[in-house]
Amino acid sequence: MDASSQFFLMSNSRTAPLSRRQCRLQTRLAVTVVGLLLAAVPPLVQAGDREQAARMHSRLTGVPPSETVLNQMATAIDSGDPVAAAYIAMDDPAFYNVTVKNLAAPWTNEAMTPFVPLNDYTATVIGLVRDEADFRTLLYDDVLYVGSDNGLPSYDTDDNNHYQALEDSGVSLAGSLRRVSQSTYTGIPPQATAGVMTTRAAARAFFIDGTNRAMFRFTLMNHLCNDLEQVADVTLPVDRIRQDVSRSPGGDSRVFLNNCAGCHTGMDPMAQAFAYYDYEYNSDSDPEGNLGQLVYNAAGMTDPDTGTRVQGKYLINATNFEHGYITRDDQWDNYWRMGDNRRLGWDDSLPGNGEGAKSLGRELAHSDAFAECKVRQVFEQVCLREPGNADDRNQLDAIVSRFRNSGYQLKRAYAESAAYCKGE
Amino acid sequence: MNTTPRLHQPLLCTLLLALLALTGCKTGESTESLPNTQSPGTSQYGGPAPATADVQSFKLNVWDNLSQANRCGECHNSSGQSPRFAHEGDVNIAYAQANTVVNLDEPSRSALVTKVAGGHNCWLGSDQACADAITSMISGWAGGSSGSVNRIELQAPTLRDPGGTIPFPQSSSAFSSTVYPLLTSYCSDCHADGDTRPYLASANVDTAYEAAKSRMSLTAPFSSRLVERLADDRHNCWNNSCEQSASDMEDAITELAGYSNPANVDPELVTSKALTLAGDGLLASSGGRFEDHVIALYEFKTGEGSTAFDTSGIEPSMHLTLTGNVEWVGGYGISFGPAYTDDNNSVRSGKAQATTANSRKLHDLLTASGEYSLETWVVPANVTQEDARIVSYSGSATARNLTLGQTLQNYEVLQRSTTTDQNAVFSTEDGANRLQASLQHVVINFTPDQGRQIFINGEPTGDVDPSPGGLLTEWDDNFALVLGNETDGNSPWEGTIRLAAFHNRALSPEQIRTNFEAGVGQKYYLLFGLSHLIDVPQAFIAFEVSQFDGYSYLFTQPFFISLDEEASPNGIELAGMKLGINGRETLTGQAWSLLQTSLNSSDYVPGQGQILSRQGTIVPLEGGPEVDEFFLSFERLGDHQNVVIPASLPPAPALPDLPAAPEIGLKNFDAINASMARLTGVAVSNPAVRGTFNTIREQLPSASNIEGFLSSQQMAITQLAISYCDELVEDATLRTNFFPNVNFNDPAATAFSGTNRDQVTDPLIRNMIGQDLNSQPLVGDLEGELDELITTLTTCDGSCPAGRTATVVKASCAAVLGSATTLIH
Repeated sequence: MDASSQFFLMSNSRTAPLSRRQCRLQTRLAVTVVGLLLAAVPPLVQAGDREQAARMHSRLTGVPPSETVLNQMATAIDSGDPVAAAYIAMDDPAFYNVTVKNLAAPWTNEAMTPFVPLNDYTATVIGLVRDEADFRTLLYDDVLYVGSDNGLPSYDTDDNNHYQALEDSGVSLAGSLRRVSQSTYTGIPPQATAGVMTTRAAARAFFIDGTNRAMFRFTLMNHLCNDLEQVADVTLPVDRIRQDVSRSPGGDSRVFLNNCAGCHTGMDPMAQAFAYYDYEYNSDSDPEGNLGQLVYNAAGMTDPDTGTRVQGKYLINATNFEHGYITRDDQWDNYWRMGDNRRLGWDDSLPGNGEGAKSLGRELAHSDAFAECKVRQVFEQVCLREPGNADDRNQLDAIVSRFRNSGYQLKRAYAESAAYCKGE
Repeated sequence: MNTTPRLHQPLLCTLLLALLALTGCKTGESTESLPNTQSPGTSQYGGPAPATADVQSFKLNVWDNLSQANRCGECHNSSGQSPRFAHEGDVNIAYAQANTVVNLDEPSRSALVTKVAGGHNCWLGSDQACADAITSMISGWAGGSSGSVNRIELQAPTLRDPGGTIPFPQSSSAFSSTVYPLLTSYCSDCHADGDTRPYLASANVDTAYEAAKSRMSLTAPFSSRLVERLADDRHNCWNNSCEQSASDMEDAITELAGYSNPANVDPELVTSKALTLAGDGLLASSGGRFEDHVIALYEFKTGEGSTAFDTSGIEPSMHLTLTGNVEWVGGYGISFGPAYTDDNNSVRSGKAQATTANSRKLHDLLTASGEYSLETWVVPANVTQEDARIVSYSGSATARNLTLGQTLQNYEVLQRSTTTDQNAVFSTEDGANRLQASLQHVVINFTPDQGRQIFINGEPTGDVDPSPGGLLTEWDDNFALVLGNETDGNSPWEGTIRLAAFHNRALSPEQIRTNFEAGVGQKYYLLFGLSHLIDVPQAFIAFEVSQFDGYSYLFTQPFFISLDEEASPNGIELAGMKLGINGRETLTGQAWSLLQTSLNSSDYVPGQGQILSRQGTIVPLEGGPEVDEFFLSFERLGDHQNVVIPASLPPAPALPDLPAAPEIGLKNFDAINASMARLTGVAVSNPAVRGTFNTIREQLPSASNIEGFLSSQQMAITQLAISYCDELVEDATLRTNFFPNVNFNDPAATAFSGTNRDQVTDPLIRNMIGQDLNSQPLVGDLEGELDELITTLTTCDGSCPAGRTATVVKASCAAVLGSATTLIH
């Protein structure tokens, strides 16, 4: 950092700036401290109970523990119960304000960036974790979490002001959020709610423009930890691939048969579940869609573009391949119950088809891939690395099992992961 | 099997609509329909006047074009051989003779056409081109639109069982010693386990084998996707030679095929009889297009050579010469590619150009009518090319009569007229993404009153010509027609043109819709015999089939029909219908494998059949329409059943161990912010720190990988730390709680003297570093660093300025708070 930059930094202070030499010294000190710390971090084999407790707390909450909490955790670890120590750490509000929020924030936008304001999607994730709810309901329950503090703007279907204000207030989200019926707040019929998929934030990110395939793809990525590339299967039936998909991109049908079809065979029959949803906004006055809202063609409504309940976006570019599939309702089918993607572990007690987003959300959330994905995400967040060897993978399997046995409480996955990565 | 009931087209909605539209064409045109009146110019007729309007139509459309001495008139004249349809002395006699060799319902099936198509004295370089030209002439005689066949004579094909195939070896053993070594050697950087699908180079050979099956053809190894990717797409070839790489791969697949004995179709399959497209296909239609006013027509049927023929039948024929990177496309079309260098031979970008003299036809006929339609079926290769010329009647890049071009996802029209600048662009709307890298029917209409209009896939785009309509009187007759480029070769377009036509009358929206629905390329019916499986005589499942492009066939709208009009199905279960090619079911493109229906009399209409699906699909082309043999298989058809047991899942690919990751990592932006708030006692909602945080938030770390730490991130951390420490020291309560024994009013000289200095450093270390943690830095080291810092900051020339004490505390605070203690965990 050069001197002029340092002056700029200090200009934020209300005291007089330091001399150039002094600034350089301060910079040197900061760098020196970093170097000292890096050199001083002992290998894991030397970590004792207190060090393990400190690491667990920091990894779970992002903040250092108080001396009291540190001692409580160290005692639990010393008694052979690091999971209990983790639960002590997770009582810290920062677990929700920092850790869980940052787990969910990238799920709420196409860029998958965590640099987004708190919204109804992340708040609902936080609430479900706090309440130790069955985390699978994330994708299909009529659930929403809102702030309960006085002075907040009310929840609105066409802006994010409520959550922005809640975040700006700096309050403990664990203390502020309360569970409500999503349908009551959004006006979507209860049977059309599908957990976070039908939140405003998700709609803004994945129902905006396009063909609604984004909702399926990003749900797949964020909650089953697979992008379409990983589940592409060109051998499945192509009968549900819509008309807008060119069968000869650039004049070469091999591209469709060997590439495009691989994703669309599975995606299109499942993305049909979203056929009645859209995100409406004024593209002239609000090109980013900041003031738009989720809309749904409920029973009895007729979309002017299609003459049915299906949104017009499902029939766009129909002349690209007129012999393709025409969406007439929101009936979805899971073709991935055939072929290699049986490996995702579908719930045999479910039929593998249905109508609308809610049943699709249940299909996805009740897969093995969902449980494994959630545990993997938590593991990577807490352990700061991917599972890298057989020990890690075995442990991951064990945590998945305990996650299931706990009734799919995500806090359990956090606790188990933190205990595993506490250091020895 | 010689029953030939007539299948009325109501089965096929599109043709029905076409028929209706065409009916309208004849009765509802607002524009006066003027016949083409041009003649070859060499045949001056002096005989009796045409006796009827139909004879007059025959003369204008057929006789004038064929009676010349260098065409049919050489032999089929008044003293020549029969039929004397080119009788030079009496067009009425010629008319009567011609009626014996034409089919006005289906011009393409006229004896006059089939004779020439078979090689009888074609005057062009292609028998097919002559046949097409005569077809156009007869269609013109019949009224242009009469070519739209509204009924099809379905005829039973020769019945034969599906031929043999070369099945994939059961185990991966042969694969492991043939193809697999190439895949693991050259494809494993991307297609190994967990990387890019397909996992062709999986460490598990069974997984690789399963992934490769759909990309190999043992019956036609050269058409395997694994070969084509190397040969055609130049996809990551090895040893700097795609040709050799493709050859290696083809050899390996051929070797793999050698491990398997040719076998009959899997006996477990319930199969229909087999057909080939070229040998058994029934022409589905010979036209259906509206071409009353076509003056130039390119259908690109020839498939070889360097000439694309103008088969409009309107003289002079404006044939195109293909140069540069142009290739014929299966299913009719030519493909334009970019310039490239191969083995030091430079090949220019492609174009297809007519001579200036012949191109004058456009000038003469279009300026005479004052209006036109330019009709194309195109497939842009991409949506990234700019200023690329698809069809241009021009003299250079800046001088033209008319140009259809592409810029990104827009079609552009440039035209010379009395009201337009020849280089002013009329484009489809930006952002509408009208142009797609897909087969599109694009029509440019121009009339003096409405100006230019653009139609895509049968619908007007709604874009409004910025210029008012005008006249074409200023067109230059020295320009040339060129496709895929500009005349100077400097505006190449990449893509495929499957049809191009000029009409000297603007097509009506209905006519455009008709031509769009007629599609492009030759369509056939394939009738797959079923009577050996079900108790219905002459039972078939019929498809409309065409070659979709150079790499696949299009099968659409299957329907069940018996050619015995007395027969009808009665509750025959049909489930799981798959297309087979060359002895095996295709692994890709199956659209009816989940079909479940019943063939029954209530849904069946004698003579029309029972529709099974309105959908269509494409299946890969292997050897070409002459040799590829198709059949259908069924999981269930009547009493026949093939119980399909899903293959067991191959073992999940083993995940490789990862390099050891660092035990520590970076906190993210929110954790750093929360930590600083926690350590200083300043709330995150404090307006000053929140403002700083919001400003520098995205400069803070977002990922935990410590190896990705950047100096810019340290800068942001320092800035945030300063903000927090500033708020801490400036808030009397907070600083008293944090530094209970520091007198901020003391001058710097005394505030940090002796043990007073510990009153600053001890709280910082105790509150921000913690005690008795081996994972934290050594207290002594920190004290030394802080001591040095404070000493430096309190060394002033003379006395330190007022406020220096607070400044030094802030600096010390920020140094600790912004250190790795806060950043790393």
